[in-house]
Amino acid sequence: MELTIPLIILALGAAFGLRKPEISLVTALVALALSIVVEAAILVSAMIAFVAILNIAALFLMKKSYLRGVDYALVSLMLIATVVALYSTSFAMLILAFILVSTPTYMLVMASESGAKVDVGVKYITFMVVATILFIIGAALTIYGGSVNSESIQTVGICLLVLGIAMEVGAAPLHYWVPDVFDTADPIPASIIASLAKFVPFVIAFKILFTVNTEKALLFIGVIAAISMLAGNIGALTSNKPARILAYSTVANMGYIIAALTVFYKPEFVYLAFAGVLLQLFANAFGKIGFFTAIREEGTNSVFSYIMALSFIGLPPLLGFWGKFYILAALIYANVMWLAVLLVINSAMSVPYYIRLANLLSGKPNKGLALCIIGISAIIMLLTVVPPNWLIDSSKVLVGYFKLGGV
Amino acid sequence: MWLWLVLLLSPIIASIPIAVAWEFNRNIGRKLPVLSVVGLFISFLVTLYILLFVEEGRFSYPWLPGIEIAFIVDYLSKYMGVLTGFIAFVIGVYGLEYMKDDYRLGWYWFFFNLFTASMLMVVYSDNLLSLLIGWEGLGIASWGLIGHWFRDDDELSYVGVINRKVGFLKMFWSPSTGGWRAISTIRLGDMPMFFAVAAIFAFAGNLNISQIDWELLIEKIGSFGVAVLLLAFLMGPFTKSAQLPFSEWLMTAMTGPTTVSALLHSATMVAAGTYLFMRISWYIEPWKIHDAGIEFVYLLVLFLGLISSLYGALVALASRERKVLLAASTMSSLGLMFAAAAASKWIGEFAIVVAFWYLITHAFAKATLFLVAGHLIHETHDRFLCGDLEVAKKMKLTFVVTIIATVMLAGIPPLTAYWVKSAMDEVMHALHEVGEAPLFLLIVISAVYSAFLAKFLSMNFVKGRHVHLHLHGGGLMKTGYTLMVSMLFLLLAVILLGIDEHVEEFVKAGFHATSFMVGVLVTVAYAIGFVKPTLETKVGQVLADRFYLMALNDFIVPKIGWAFVTAVDYGNRAIDFFTHRAIPGLFESVSKGIRVLQTGRLSHYVQLALGALMLLLIVVSVAGW
Amino acid sequence: MISALLAPLIAVIVAPFFKPREAAVLSAVAFFAAFVGLLIDAFTGAYYRVDLVQAAEPVGNIYMFGDTVSHAFGFTIAFVSAMVALYSYPYMAHRFEEMGLGEDEFKKYWFLHNLYAASMLWLVYAGNLILLYVFLEISLVTSFLLIYMYGYGNRQWVALLYFVWTHIAGALALVGFLLIGFENKTLALDSIKTVSFLAWLLVFLGMIIKLPGFGAHIWLPWAHAEAPTPVSALLSPLTVGLAAYVLLRIYFIEPSFIIDHRIPIFAYGVLTSVYAGLAVFKQNDYKRLLAYSTVSQMGYILIAFTLGAAGILGVVIQYISHAFGKSILFMTAGAIIATFHGLRDLNKMSGMHEFVPTISNAALLGFMNLSGILTIGMIGEFYILKGLADTFGLPSAINSIAMATMLSVVIVFIISGLYSFYTMKRIYYGTPADYSKVLVHRLLDSPLYVIAILSILLLLPPFATWFIDALVKFLGVA
Repeated sequence: MELTIPLIILALGAAFGLRKPEISLVTALVALALSIVVEAAILVSAMIAFVAILNIAALFLMKKSYLRGVDYALVSLMLIATVVALYSTSFAMLILAFILVSTPTYMLVMASESGAKVDVGVKYITFMVVATILFIIGAALTIYGGSVNSESIQTVGICLLVLGIAMEVGAAPLHYWVPDVFDTADPIPASIIASLAKFVPFVIAFKILFTVNTEKALLFIGVIAAISMLAGNIGALTSNKPARILAYSTVANMGYIIAALTVFYKPEFVYLAFAGVLLQLFANAFGKIGFFTAIREEGTNSVFSYIMALSFIGLPPLLGFWGKFYILAALIYANVMWLAVLLVINSAMSVPYYIRLANLLSGKPNKGLALCIIGISAIIMLLTVVPPNWLIDSSKVLVGYFKLGGV
Repeated sequence: MWLWLVLLLSPIIASIPIAVAWEFNRNIGRKLPVLSVVGLFISFLVTLYILLFVEEGRFSYPWLPGIEIAFIVDYLSKYMGVLTGFIAFVIGVYGLEYMKDDYRLGWYWFFFNLFTASMLMVVYSDNLLSLLIGWEGLGIASWGLIGHWFRDDDELSYVGVINRKVGFLKMFWSPSTGGWRAISTIRLGDMPMFFAVAAIFAFAGNLNISQIDWELLIEKIGSFGVAVLLLAFLMGPFTKSAQLPFSEWLMTAMTGPTTVSALLHSATMVAAGTYLFMRISWYIEPWKIHDAGIEFVYLLVLFLGLISSLYGALVALASRERKVLLAASTMSSLGLMFAAAAASKWIGEFAIVVAFWYLITHAFAKATLFLVAGHLIHETHDRFLCGDLEVAKKMKLTFVVTIIATVMLAGIPPLTAYWVKSAMDEVMHALHEVGEAPLFLLIVISAVYSAFLAKFLSMNFVKGRHVHLHLHGGGLMKTGYTLMVSMLFLLLAVILLGIDEHVEEFVKAGFHATSFMVGVLVTVAYAIGFVKPTLETKVGQVLADRFYLMALNDFIVPKIGWAFVTAVDYGNRAIDFFTHRAIPGLFESVSKGIRVLQTGRLSHYVQLALGALMLLLIVVSVAGW
Repeated sequence: MISALLAPLIAVIVAPFFKPREAAVLSAVAFFAAFVGLLIDAFTGAYYRVDLVQAAEPVGNIYMFGDTVSHAFGFTIAFVSAMVALYSYPYMAHRFEEMGLGEDEFKKYWFLHNLYAASMLWLVYAGNLILLYVFLEISLVTSFLLIYMYGYGNRQWVALLYFVWTHIAGALALVGFLLIGFENKTLALDSIKTVSFLAWLLVFLGMIIKLPGFGAHIWLPWAHAEAPTPVSALLSPLTVGLAAYVLLRIYFIEPSFIIDHRIPIFAYGVLTSVYAGLAVFKQNDYKRLLAYSTVSQMGYILIAFTLGAAGILGVVIQYISHAFGKSILFMTAGAIIATFHGLRDLNKMSGMHEFVPTISNAALLGFMNLSGILTIGMIGEFYILKGLADTFGLPSAINSIAMATMLSVVIVFIISGLYSFYTMKRIYYGTPADYSKVLVHRLLDSPLYVIAILSILLLLPPFATWFIDALVKFLGVA
């Protein structure tokens, strides 16, 4: 339990933070640093930490917030939970991590400069509660079905699990909260929900699916993925508000990632799928942070906005390309050709609205912190000009933690 | 190698200064045509050098893998080369004056010289692909020269009576149309020919005409293959030499400057087709090969030639324009050359020699007549046949030259063409296996031919309507055609003195009774043509309108083409609509549908989500998981 | 001379910092230097390779390499890009003025133009399918942005349309590549041993969209007509043909797909070429007309692919000849647009030779390239026809396919010649329209002649001898 210390630091920081936000920030960063140095595939943790740091930095842009001080701690908490989820092989820990990532967002989503947005919170929380329940029941049933060797229980479990994920991360056909929340919430909390909160559900889903030895749910997962991609991309086509475009883009991206889950029945290729998922999540996270910040600032430099948009489209050698690339590779290796082709067609369909998005958010210079956040988000897309071997290696290491053992 | 480079490049290089200068400074440009003619002269000297001093044989230089740029000096090419060089040079000199005030001299001289160089390439090439370079050069240069007066603003440059219509056919053609008709017809033939060349390379592994083992090749590909291959190949010569039904372009090629017509119709372009046929027949030696395919093709060429020749002669007989008359007569002569050369299948090499000599005779005579026609158009400002005795009086030299050229070419004994024609009579007579038809056709054609030559003389100098002459200058032009016509005497001397190894046969043939009878017939026809030069009847009108063959070029083929084009256009619109309107429209409406769900009301969302959830679970359980 | 590939990189980085005119010269010099180096490589048949990185499966070793085919495509790309760079200066100055943009816009332009050209150049030297895909997409994005920012008409819509179509093309090919990667555990060209049917099919379909074949061709006239003309002069001659390059590389590894489906592919090529060739006659927009002609010429390439070794030689030469011809032609269209303030409607043109003789003559040279008259196009057509005879033989009583194929290819070639000269007549010949003679900017016409001269030189010895010998040696054509 290497993570106990950061957690304690964090709790202390949060307690003091209500009075003095700076303390909270410092403790959050310390906890964050501690959490990533302890484990093997450090680069992945570091990248996730980087997402978290950007999230915290973005929070600074909000002049005031009802959570000021606690919000840094909440983000750090989410990060710690994410790292735990990566390394933990205990079912209970995973469920804990899931809840730890989910709950802080309930509070964050309501944050805004003009007081708490309760209506957004209600919508969001309603869905999240249902999602969490579905997810946990699904996960438990899957594990249970595995232990009693019942295919049908397992299959029902997987279905519920996937539905839970779909609702949690906002994949169609259970995505209704996403456009509304992204549009009406403050952009900064929205960017946190769209970035850091997305890792854990998929990591856990992979780990649970890894225990399964039936292929029956494959088609179901595939169908959900396909519906989500299509609904997201098509929905975005006619949207004209940047936040709504980003909402549908999330729906589509979650579809791509769910598609990668179908590889679970070919354990030898899971590392590829997982690498793809991680890359896609990174691309999605940085892109969303950059774009939401740009929405808040009512625009940004056109170079940055185009780089991020092109990364979302999946243009090599940007980050977004490699995510799709490895997901595609995994799908092809696992012989799920139809989903691969669908994914490809979807990536072409997304071109118009990402370009529109880049255009809508272009042509306004930023200064200071906002420039930094957006600039870093954009430049990080160029990280993969050299093929991301490091991620493949990390992915192989992380897949080693996939075997669930004990409670 | 330098010899060949000088031969081929000197005309082109010499014309580049004027081509470039013309775009920048026309005053300098006006002084440069002489340079181009010097280039032509150098080429001419080289051809003479080749004739006199270069041993017969092959000269080859590496080009593509397995394909050389190869030149050959043999009986055909050494004479043909000099002929080309000389005629181009003389017409060049003539053109110095004729084209003096033109508005596009850079273009004119560049293409004129390119034309000459291309023809020389065709003449000397032994390799079919390097020959094709010259061949394509001829095509592009003829397009450039026929459409030289691209503005279409000068009545003198048209063919046909302006604004005349017969039914749905417009019976007049501008220079730009003339150029288009030429190139479009030629492309039609060149591409099958190109395929044939490539196929020969594929099957024989060699493209040198003199080195291909034709007999082996023919054995290899069988009779049907030979027929297809040869016909594809001959599509090139047929279109370039304007055999039926590809003759229309030649008539409207008269929209170009007269110098161009003279060059086009004597030693280059149209002659290239027949020359090429002679050249390959020379080496295929069809008389040694017994193959149904070969026989079929040669028979076809024989009759196609004769019928085209008759067609051309009849059109010329009724034609009312100076240059169109000459163009039709050229077509007629080309037909005879094809026919005579095709007779080699049964007669042997001699038939090719006859055809070749006829080509030479015709070249000088026809060049002369064109140059005369050009001079007449220049002085009368009228492209139709016109002029009474006053013209003859005021342009004595021109009159005399015309008499000599027509009489010599008609085949009146004992002048130049008589001997060649006699040999041709003999060749056709000897075609026992084919029957009497060729000989009969030849005699008819000869008579008609003679008649329209007399008509040309009569209508321009004696019996035509009165015209006003604008006499000025003309020195260089006169020199040009005088030089040209004098070559006919030279030829006569060559034949009568037996300087060439083959001509003895001609003289022998000339002394046959039948030949002499034909000679008399031709003379009579000439007299009739001279006395009654017009043919103003309905039949005459049909002949003058070229049997309305232009319907093919101007109506039938374009209509079919446009039907396809229109269909394609509709197809494109449909695809465009489908992919760029219908599909995006579909996506848009689906997209709006998806977005309509976002009402913003939580209860609504919960209903939807739970509904979807239940639905999915029901589907799953029904599916049996 | 691998260093030749670095010269354009310098142009990409440095050119934006210069004044527009100097930047034009600089870019042209850089690409011309690359051209000279690569031309020499092509003549000598040089081979080289440089390893870049070793990536994880399924990517494998990423390296750059050059062989004769790379050089053949490479020097064409470098050469045309150099000429277009020169041409861009007066044209884009005119375009920026028309759009009300300042000279500063040139900075963006030079960066994108040079990156676009360079990515195409590097593409043909890519030794790994992923690297190749990367360059393919970079060239797509840069050209997309150029259309999006400086195009004509409804330029944003057209640019998107272009992006979507070609992105589908690229992505389908990517799926194919990944299948190849699955089968071979690598995407390095030198280590790929097999290409399964499905992988071939996907790559083929993708490249058919990009090339484009009949049906998918509908995007091309939009994109190529509405792009700013220097971009059209790169798109049409160079970019679409790269699809042929990609297919060629796969073909070298595993030709069975093409060989097994020879007749349908051949027929499809003929359909594409004839259909697009006929469509040319109906166009009233100069650039649209040229775009359709591009589709028709790409049909040649499809046809040539099916014709064995000689046909493959034909593919390479056809790419070169089309690149030369079409770049000249697009630049003539642009010169008229720039000189006569946006004039591109054929119905308003007639006798244009009167006003812009140098452009008219250049257009003739361009059309000669397309119809294979006295230019390198002639050699291309020759090898395609030879391949035809090799593959299908001569027509006979039992070989009716040979008759059909012969006739169709002959018709394809004839149509190209016809629309070429029909267009010449419509635009440049006839009674001059009501314009006055103007001085054409020297950079709007002289680059065209340089291209034409190279095209003619490549037909004749010694250039043709060196070049075709090296190609034949490399391809092993009998």
